[in-house]
Amino acid sequence: MFYPDSIANLIAALQKLPGVGPKTAQRLAFFILTLPRDEVVQMARALVNAKDKTHYCRICGNFTDDEQCVICTDQRRDPSLLCVVQDARDVLALERMREFRGRYHVLGGAISPIDGIGPEQLRIRELLERLQDGQIQEVILATNPTVEGEATALYVARLVKPLGIRVTRLAHGLPVGGDLEYADEITLARALEGRREF
Amino acid sequence: MTELRSQAVVLRVRSFKEADKLVTLLTRDAGLVTAVARGSRKTNSKFAALLEPLTLGNFLLHQGRSLYTFIQGEIIKAYRSLQGDLVRFAYAQYFCELCERSLLEGMPSGALFMLLVTALEALEEDSSPVRVARCFEVSLLAELGISPDLSGCSNCGSRQGVYHFNPREGVLLCAACPHPVESYPVSAAAIAIMKRLQEMGFHRLSVCVIPSGESKEIHRMVADLLMHSLGISRLKTVDFLQQTGLL
Repeated sequence: MFYPDSIANLIAALQKLPGVGPKTAQRLAFFILTLPRDEVVQMARALVNAKDKTHYCRICGNFTDDEQCVICTDQRRDPSLLCVVQDARDVLALERMREFRGRYHVLGGAISPIDGIGPEQLRIRELLERLQDGQIQEVILATNPTVEGEATALYVARLVKPLGIRVTRLAHGLPVGGDLEYADEITLARALEGRREF
Repeated sequence: MTELRSQAVVLRVRSFKEADKLVTLLTRDAGLVTAVARGSRKTNSKFAALLEPLTLGNFLLHQGRSLYTFIQGEIIKAYRSLQGDLVRFAYAQYFCELCERSLLEGMPSGALFMLLVTALEALEEDSSPVRVARCFEVSLLAELGISPDLSGCSNCGSRQGVYHFNPREGVLLCAACPHPVESYPVSAAAIAIMKRLQEMGFHRLSVCVIPSGESKEIHRMVADLLMHSLGISRLKTVDFLQQTGLL
């Protein structure tokens, strides 16, 4: 290309972001060049800060800047309710709902033999350790409704149930605003299985 | 644009871009195919369930320059019971990985598609997933044209005694004949079971007893043959099965 090295380097760096191709990287690079210097410095600092300071919560595996995340340290949260999710991003998705007042446990993935991910690679041992203190009364399995997510949920359920803790699974079914006519048979079957009295 | 309408099994699914999936399919009519399914990770996608691993369905794809694009489809069977059992789930994914690694994209293989469907059906019903796995492996070698010759010593023709297996050539050698360093002894029982699997496949598989020792011998022979003939080694599902003590 005919760009100076500095711009070419910036384009190459931006292209590493997911979903950003050469054209988008080019557009973003030229946009950054139009910004005031202060804003660019702020952006660069934010990137480095996020990388340096963010790590996983010692208890639940969620993102945090400290040793424990804000949810684990929040005393108003219900300690008897634990929601098990695949990824730290799922915590953010559930928190957007503002309905759930329990705590979380992030597994860090789902069992997938074809990708070489087994129970040992997930934070299942840490989950079982958390359940030892007798405070937790219900474990809500909120792994993704995918083949891997289902296999993981069933695996975790088999380990937790013998401890005498109530194990529940997020409901499967029709999306709000969806159309019954276009629903696939698996989703419909699960919606029917999970029906409740009106 | 060329259209592909075929039955297929979803072998592997990877996240792609913001809300898309990259789906690897074993189709009945066009062999191994990779297709991009746009928007299929959104919760309101009507094809999300179809585009899950271990799903058999009818697919309509458009062939692009480098990738196929998923247009629409319908589920035939989702093999849901395999998800509830870690052993069966791992073996089902092992079958998928073997198919993915042993075929080249675009190489038609209706027989391999039928073999995978038969194996998934058997895996749901058979009481022993290991037995189904051994049968799938031996049948796969036959479909790929690399079945070992188990009729007797390939050098002198002897049909008795202790044999060594030469994985480079896929043949047996008797104790009296010279054998290369990479060959190793195999039991008569393992050879007999392998012959039965070669001849009868999944037919009346439930009455075929495969002891653990012989099962391991057969798996080793298959793995070595795949490595020497097709360069297939280090399967992630095999590592998983070994780590979890399921193999």
